Amino acid sequence: MTASSLPGGQSARLRRLRRDYFGSPLAVLMTLLSAAVIAWIGWFLLDWGVIRATFGADGTQETCVAHGGACWSVIAVRWRVILFGIYPYEEQWRSALACVVVGVVILLSCLPRMWSFGRLALVWVLGTVIFYTLMRGGVLGLVPVNEQQWGGLPLTLFIFVATGIIGMPLAIGLALLRRSEYPVIARVTGWIIDTIRSLPLLSILFTCAIVLPFMLPGFLIGEKLYRVLFGAALFFAAYQAEIIRGGFQGIPKGQEEAAKALGLTYWHRTFRIVLPQAFRLALPATINQFVIAFMETSLIVVVGFMELLAAGNTAFKTGEWKFAYAEVYVFIAAIYFAFVFGLSRYGAYLEARMNVGHRKD
Amino acid sequence: MSAIARTNVMDLTAPAIEITDLNKYYGTFHALRSINLTVSKGEKVVVCGPSGSGKSTMIRCINQLEEHDSGAIRVFGTQLDDNLGSIDEIRREVGMVFQQFNLFPHMTVLENCTLAPMLVRKISRAEAEATAMRYLEKVRIPDQAQKFPGQLSGGQQQRVAIARALCMQPEILLFDEPTSALDPEMIAEVLDVMVTLAQEGMTMVCVTHEMGFARKVADRVIFMDKGEIIEEAPPEEFFGQPKSDRTRLFLSQVLGH
Amino acid sequence: MTGPSFLRSRAFRRVTLQAGFVAGLLLLVLAATLTARTNLATQGLTSGFDFLWKSTGWEMNFSLLPTTTADPYWWYLLMGLMNTLFMGTLGLAGASVLGLVVGLMRSGRNPAARLLGTIYIEIFRNLPLILQLFFWYAMANALPAPRASIAFGGALINARGLYLPGLMVGPGTVALAVLSGLVGLGLAIWVLTARRFNRVEPRGQRRVALLAVLAGLIGAGVFVVLGHDPADAWVTLPALQGLKIDGGFRIQPEFYALAIAITTYGAAYVGEIVRGGFKSVGRGQMEAAAALGLSSWHIFTRVRLPLAFRAMLPILINQYVWLIKATTLGIAVGFSDFFMVIASSINHSGQTFEFIGILMAGFLLINFSLAAVLNRLNRAIALKGHQTTGSA
Ligand SMILES: Nc1ncnc2c1ncn2[C@@H]1O[C@H](COP(=O)(O)OP(=O)(O)OP(=O)(O)O)[C@@H](O)[C@H]1O
Ligand SMILES: [Mg+2]
Repeated sequence: MTASSLPGGQSARLRRLRRDYFGSPLAVLMTLLSAAVIAWIGWFLLDWGVIRATFGADGTQETCVAHGGACWSVIAVRWRVILFGIYPYEEQWRSALACVVVGVVILLSCLPRMWSFGRLALVWVLGTVIFYTLMRGGVLGLVPVNEQQWGGLPLTLFIFVATGIIGMPLAIGLALLRRSEYPVIARVTGWIIDTIRSLPLLSILFTCAIVLPFMLPGFLIGEKLYRVLFGAALFFAAYQAEIIRGGFQGIPKGQEEAAKALGLTYWHRTFRIVLPQAFRLALPATINQFVIAFMETSLIVVVGFMELLAAGNTAFKTGEWKFAYAEVYVFIAAIYFAFVFGLSRYGAYLEARMNVGHRKD
Repeated sequence: MSAIARTNVMDLTAPAIEITDLNKYYGTFHALRSINLTVSKGEKVVVCGPSGSGKSTMIRCINQLEEHDSGAIRVFGTQLDDNLGSIDEIRREVGMVFQQFNLFPHMTVLENCTLAPMLVRKISRAEAEATAMRYLEKVRIPDQAQKFPGQLSGGQQQRVAIARALCMQPEILLFDEPTSALDPEMIAEVLDVMVTLAQEGMTMVCVTHEMGFARKVADRVIFMDKGEIIEEAPPEEFFGQPKSDRTRLFLSQVLGH
Repeated sequence: MTGPSFLRSRAFRRVTLQAGFVAGLLLLVLAATLTARTNLATQGLTSGFDFLWKSTGWEMNFSLLPTTTADPYWWYLLMGLMNTLFMGTLGLAGASVLGLVVGLMRSGRNPAARLLGTIYIEIFRNLPLILQLFFWYAMANALPAPRASIAFGGALINARGLYLPGLMVGPGTVALAVLSGLVGLGLAIWVLTARRFNRVEPRGQRRVALLAVLAGLIGAGVFVVLGHDPADAWVTLPALQGLKIDGGFRIQPEFYALAIAITTYGAAYVGEIVRGGFKSVGRGQMEAAAALGLSSWHIFTRVRLPLAFRAMLPILINQYVWLIKATTLGIAVGFSDFFMVIASSINHSGQTFEFIGILMAGFLLINFSLAAVLNRLNRAIALKGHQTTGSA
């Protein structure tokens, strides 16, 4: 029985609305001001982005300026550079397919029925292998393409997926070491985690790109891309380890004691009893961390990679499109936004679902 | 008694539990003061005493949820020392039931019961499930096997916890205040199960304040205070003519209301 | 499974595992160091910190105190660190103020304001900071050339930067004046919050705090007057002179683009934290306050805000540390923050390891001291006998 289904409901709701919008002089002012700002933004976007905009691949600076709105022609002409960077033009279907693979992997891992270590590991490892084969080529008749030529959206997604796939096991390891019953191990791991967390990600990426080669034996140096990926994963792991630790702290002590009393070994206790519960508790924070990791893939431009953002920069840095920076950034922003907004909505949905479950207990 | 092959180290003719001169410290706090206790196979011992007297600490030493500082604990002749192997062995033969049930909330009742037999005893799933259903019937909740612990009442959860411990087919069962977290109307259903187990000859060490239960099934009642065993007697004697003043005071408080 | 029994003993395990862990880590560090040394030796590079006293030979494009190419590395590093702290403080302050506004809009009852707050947060929080920074920077560079500068309120803005009118005093004077103002403000906050003054009449407390702020401001004024060269005019206004701007103070596009990006992005996060804080205040407390007859202003300032602030602080600490670290993005647009100075120094001097060490030490110092100060504040205001709310 909601209020609105009662006879007096209609007017009560009206009254409440009137109070919220116009209850006091301050409320009136706030309402008017906010409405004006929202209306202005809305109108601006409509006017600039649609009404006076220029669409189609044949637009030029003159026609765009003459119309006075956005110049979407830059996207129509340059979208393949933005999305795929300098990947060989005829092979770009592979890039597109690789993006689809990653999309499927992410979608699959959002399904609750996939949530077991085995299944998630299978999906992610399989996805990565397919992605890598498609992008790198050299087998199955695919032309080999060097990592240095990777770019755009697939590179962004690759960094993201690799960060997760390396970072998550690393995070679990760090979290377990930090809660070790041996004080020296726990304390030293704590220092390592805290140190990594207080350094800027950029400085870690930079160190991995520039400094690490000095410190590694020749056979371990590898591609710069993989070193940087390792840095990103390490940073992710330090944050995620603390999130998992938060999950550990939410589990009653009796759980592990009961497992011990049943004679389960350390590994069985950890992987059957403690970690599954910790992950469940830490799920919202984990998704949030993935969202942040996705946004932080864009930092890799600073150490010289052509991911989505950098590819976008090159798309308008040529003379003829120099004026159209806003359009390119809006296009890239839309891609990031779709992904990040979707993932964080999904996280909020999961959290709500879990809270409902808790109340029933 | 069971289809499960026992490891050969256990000597079933030795006393079930033999504690000699056990001491335990928490930092500087002396929690257990030279405890001596022998429990023979099939015996039922009830431990009582005021809060903080060390009852939980003592029985948790038996399966090494707490490490002791000095003294010896033997379970069926196997000494619990620094050796991790002997700890694993003893935990296999000693089941425990907790005050807070400690069921695994992310597993169904059946999974709770089959997990340890499959992982520790390495028996097949089918066999483990058959055993689990047998014990769930014994604690009178076979119909709840597919539910999650969060969907059961406290009394039902504690009975599942007992079934879970039984599924390992232990020689000894330890109970740490199994009914203290339960509403009064659920206490009886758990105690009934415990009485049945006692009558079937299970070796039991039970920390409880349920004096009716002690009278009914205990072979011996042990009274602890300030980390020491003060008094140790068969129930008639313990309740009839307690020797120490502290026991009398405690009994008057427990039985008084 | 049954090896020698000492292998399975607890004591043995405790010692070997811990010793093995530490030894493994040390070995890793040692191996890395040795490899690095041989690699450096083959490239003919020497290690050591002597270079700190050599002059850099390159220019720093932004610093609070003057720098020249003849200045030594240590001075550049110090200036870079100051730039980071300056940008960080500015970003933190801006993000906090704007974030409070957004958070209040989001937790208020007015649906129009709530919608606006939500739009703000969803846009700024869901796009990478560096993308936003690039956007602001591209926009700053796309402004008209100096001769077509846009003027507003005595200030000018064009593609070369933002030109503000200013007082004609040296940077040392400004530093002293700012310090004086901060000391006054700090004193006031101390008087208002320290436990030792809890028993003082609130009105007296407020009066003393006001006095402290005033004294700080007067001190600042005195410094400005004393530091002013009588030969100069008092104020300088930017004006177009031929093809460029004369007078005023120029703020580079790199600087304000980064400041805007950090402020707006940080505000979205702070806004969410503020909203969470207000949400955590139980309705019962507010109803109790209303039942006591407190005005809605008093309910807000004496009950709701203090309780919400306590809930926010642990999460805010993490966010602040994050924002300080975000100033390193300056390198993407060319603002000389600490990280960019380090990166350029490595390029020019080749002393890679020393500079990376300084970089790490610098950020550890900044973040640990920031976290330490804020954690202390957190402990000081924590409600006694309550579980501290866990941080994110
Ligand atoms: N982990 C611990 N650290 C420090 N002191 C402890 C710890 N566990 C128990 N103690 C102390 O040891 C003493 C005995 O505790 P124990 O839990 O064995 O008492 P108990 O007899 O089971 O009491 P209760 O009836 O309340 O369960 C108590 O004084 C308790 O404060
Ligand atoms: Mg107890």
